[in-house]
Amino acid sequence: MVVALALWDNIMDMNKILLIDDEEDSLDILSLSLKSEGYDVIAAASGEEGLDAFERESPPIVLTDLNMPGMDGIDVLKRVKNSNPDTEVIVITGHGDMDSAIDALRYGASDFINKPVREEALQLALKRAKEKLVIGEKLRAYTTDLENMCHIAIGEIKRKSDFQDKLITSSNDGIVATDENGRIIIFNPGAEAIFGVPRIEVVRKLDFTQLFPPEIAEVFSLMFSRGRDMRDVGWKDVMIHGRGGDDVPARFSGTLLHDSEDIIGSVGFFQDLREIKRLEGELVKSERLAAIGQTVARLAHYIKNILAGLKGGTYVVNIGLDKNDTDKLRTGWHMVERNVGRISYLVADLLAYSRERDPEYRNCLPNDIVEDVCELLDGMAMENQIKVERDFDPSIKEVSMDPDMVHRVLLNLVSNAVDACISDFDEKKQHNVRVGARLEDDNVIRFEVADNGCGMNEKVKSKIFSAFFSTKGGRGTGLGLLVVQKLVQEQNGSIEILSEPGEGSVFIVRLPYEKVE
Amino acid sequence: MSKRVLAVDDDPDIIMFVKTVLEENGYIPLIARNGETGLSIARDEGPDLIILDVLMPKQSGIRMYRELKSDETLKGVPVIILSGIARRTFLRSQEALTEFGDQPVPEPELYMEKPVEPAELAEAVKDLIDRS
Repeated sequence: MVVALALWDNIMDMNKILLIDDEEDSLDILSLSLKSEGYDVIAAASGEEGLDAFERESPPIVLTDLNMPGMDGIDVLKRVKNSNPDTEVIVITGHGDMDSAIDALRYGASDFINKPVREEALQLALKRAKEKLVIGEKLRAYTTDLENMCHIAIGEIKRKSDFQDKLITSSNDGIVATDENGRIIIFNPGAEAIFGVPRIEVVRKLDFTQLFPPEIAEVFSLMFSRGRDMRDVGWKDVMIHGRGGDDVPARFSGTLLHDSEDIIGSVGFFQDLREIKRLEGELVKSERLAAIGQTVARLAHYIKNILAGLKGGTYVVNIGLDKNDTDKLRTGWHMVERNVGRISYLVADLLAYSRERDPEYRNCLPNDIVEDVCELLDGMAMENQIKVERDFDPSIKEVSMDPDMVHRVLLNLVSNAVDACISDFDEKKQHNVRVGARLEDDNVIRFEVADNGCGMNEKVKSKIFSAFFSTKGGRGTGLGLLVVQKLVQEQNGSIEILSEPGEGSVFIVRLPYEKVE
Repeated sequence: MSKRVLAVDDDPDIIMFVKTVLEENGYIPLIARNGETGLSIARDEGPDLIILDVLMPKQSGIRMYRELKSDETLKGVPVIILSGIARRTFLRSQEALTEFGDQPVPEPELYMEKPVEPAELAEAVKDLIDRS
């Protein structure tokens, strides 16, 4: 805006002309003629006078005769141009004096007209001078504008570059940038902390192959040689062997920097993982402690129950001994035995749950294993008026399986089934547990344990494989089904559950076996 | 006439133990294997004391305890909680039920953690029955 107004002022001023001629007539006539065209004419009768007027009035256009006594037109021209090079100087030459005209043009005159001055030639010369002035003015305005913008842009670039410098310097991540030859040119304090080397020993002294861990250096070299096919490395965990001897875990990502097709450098980002790893470690530790705490509390409770059973048993045995009461003795002894059994099961479950164990395949008769499990639980079932029905496929012959695991799995399932019947208080039901074994295709045996006990609702079903979840009050470890699941998985088998509250549950376990030659 | 004591526990060994202690000390034991049966026996028989386990399938001891202490005819019957869980866990679960809008219930007359010595149990039963 300011520029435009200045331009306008000068255009208004453009009507001011300094006219220099030593011939009085000529000066008068030209002066009159110009005035009538609307020009503001300053008339001077000599070069010296003309220059004074020029200094005083600063006219944009000067019209001077060349041939003058004293200071001639060429001198005037030189001085005017020296004083203000933007001034348009038109020289008036004698008729046929081409040499002077050429001289004048060489010293920067914008035009020449011949004497005697013809009106049209003068007007044309003035018109051209004025046009040149306008263009010159515009050019100046544009230049100023351009310079201003350049200035602002440089300021902005500097601000941005300062900002980026600060960004790089204050980043917690290590930033390492190289030029196109792999020489390191940026090494920020984050990188100093990770690599344990001061910036001054690295920048412009090392290339990346001397700094990066070998696996990263290799990928970077590959990137440099492959160019556009491979431009970056995604996040990758690496171990930095610091100068101080510390191993620093870091997460790395890097990229080649391109200017259109040319590689102009590379940059690598190293995230310091020391703090994260430390926190992770603490978290794992505290979770482990919490899990141990929970396990111990749950186990302590279960063991307390067994202890109560054992104490109760010994008490009843003592009463029986004191009174010579065989019935009491038998009852008490039975209590002791049962609780010893509970401890054995608990220990076996705990070991099965906590130990990694590969299946041990041996030749065995699956039906015998299932029969054995049923016999173990017949007693308890009978005490509670529960029938254990067997339904074994007689075509199952000797196979190679892990008999101990099969036994553990079925023992857990059948004893759960018996418990489900005991927990069902529907007096009208004749409770029974059905244990089945069938051959299926693809060398799989399908074991099925079904009961018509209390059944499970959705909530219970969703939790049965959670550690220490139990619906059996103080009598459950909350480990049984977890052990079943673990063992079945270890044998590459599968487990399927159907259950309706009040109707009962069916557990189907499919286990693969090897044929015996 | 002999006092009658109701024992509610799902563990047959605990039941056998408590039953024997009660018989040996001259009480008549009444037995229930879960909270639901326990409550109906309590209503039908009006025992002089109730020994109650906390963790049981079906209706738990926590629920049954609230029912007992909210029942006009039964709330005066002293209760011994005999459980494997700690006393404060039981009290906290009662507080939680109260916070969920139930009427507050008094603390049990006695809380015993399993395993319990026979003499200790016999003495506690005697104490509470004599007091009421």
